Amino acid sequence: MKQYIIILLTAMLIASCQEKKQTETRWVHTKTIALADVNPIGIAQGEKGIWLSDGDRNRVVLIDKSGVVLNTIVSLDRPMHIASEGEMLVIPQYGNDEVLRFRESEKEIVRTRDSLDAPAGVAIKGVEVAIADFYNNKVHYTENSSDWITFGKEGKADGDFYYPTDVHLTESNIWVADAYNNRLQVFDKKGNHLKTIGEDQKMNAATGIFVSDTNAYTTDFENDRVLVFDLEGSLKQVLDADISKPTDLIIIDEVLYVTNYKGKSLSLYTQQEVEISSQEGHDTHNDHHDHEDHKD
Amino acid sequence: MKIKAIIVLVAVVMVSAFAKAQKTMDTFEVQVDGLGCPFCAYGLEKKFKEFKGIKKVAIDIETGDFSFQYPSEKNLTMQAVVKQVEKAGYTPITSKITRADGTIEANEANTTELSAESVVVTQQVLVAGKCGMCEARIINAAGSIPGVTAAAWKQDQQMMKVTYDKSQVTLDGIQSEIARIGHDTKAHKATDEAYADLPGCCKYERLDQ
Repeated sequence: MKQYIIILLTAMLIASCQEKKQTETRWVHTKTIALADVNPIGIAQGEKGIWLSDGDRNRVVLIDKSGVVLNTIVSLDRPMHIASEGEMLVIPQYGNDEVLRFRESEKEIVRTRDSLDAPAGVAIKGVEVAIADFYNNKVHYTENSSDWITFGKEGKADGDFYYPTDVHLTESNIWVADAYNNRLQVFDKKGNHLKTIGEDQKMNAATGIFVSDTNAYTTDFENDRVLVFDLEGSLKQVLDADISKPTDLIIIDEVLYVTNYKGKSLSLYTQQEVEISSQEGHDTHNDHHDHEDHKD
Repeated sequence: MKIKAIIVLVAVVMVSAFAKAQKTMDTFEVQVDGLGCPFCAYGLEKKFKEFKGIKKVAIDIETGDFSFQYPSEKNLTMQAVVKQVEKAGYTPITSKITRADGTIEANEANTTELSAESVVVTQQVLVAGKCGMCEARIINAAGSIPGVTAAAWKQDQQMMKVTYDKSQVTLDGIQSEIARIGHDTKAHKATDEAYADLPGCCKYERLDQ
């Protein structure tokens, strides 16, 4: 009888030590595209490839999905976080305070109500345009390409900015990468503050932003990370595989592209079912342990 | 023959004018306290565009080396350059002007001189910081203290290694100077005002004291 009890206890002990495995869909690093002589800052989807702004060389390049340069727009002045829609490409020029709208070979200046001081990011959605105005600590927004509203001032309170670098437009809201306040902020399209995200994540320069139907993504420049939040602001995942001074990101055809300014590359992530322990299921996941198995 | 002579004369005049134009530019070389990101580097460049006539602006983000040329007849001073760097939010570590006539003006960070009475020691001390800009600022501040001969700071360890002459300065005095520029040390805490003046990316977690 005593032996049975010992066996039973041992079996219970072993069972309790075994981790319960479950799967979850997570972003996993799958590939890195090396870029020859491009230090990418902004990224946008083009009809014939991917647009990257190369501020160091005062140009924007169009690359194919293997990193080969297909086209170049030159003679720009520090182009930053670009945006696109169809054939249109919008380029904020940090150096000369102009935002240019390109369509094929034609270009025009986007006229704002107030003057800009180092436009660092732009977003477009139909006729809507939003601009992150870096040194003025403001965001400019128009819903019809002619009547502008401006909101924000330097500071740390909700609705204030400390050098905003990027913006993203969704159906209802304006999302802002409030870079040196190390957070994201969400506003309605009247400029009213709705939400602040990521303040507790110890980011160091939240430089780029992208928002999908379910998540908000930001680049944590100095910490070489990408943080993935749900739209309520809860952290879902931290990506740090093969990321080096990231500045911007975008999802194209279910692939997350991250621009590595220092790394002169694009890191690609795809969503995969990964096995996690029961304990991990309760924690925010870091992609680091997964990426080696999937790296090209 | 006459045409050849004219061509040669025009060429000589053009070369002479070009050489003269080249010679009338002063060259400025400044090392600033860390240009961690493109936004910082381009911002510095943007502030210097306010100097009309500036040419050949070059910035190395990794090293913080910043250089440009400026017409010598405008006699741009070191003081004006330092002021403009500070206006952009940075601190110059070293600066050098090579005037068109070959004269060199330089501000070097460390002027410590040792004597027979010097007692040189190396010690480590806790200094809080967060990034490459913090590192440059801490090293610059320590290096400019009379009596300090070398300083280094490691972000991952939050420790500053400093070599100094005990006959000229104390470790407590060094920490006091570091705190004055906004960085908490083991012995001295920075004032809230000095901490608030740090750039956004340098806002480290304050030390409990």
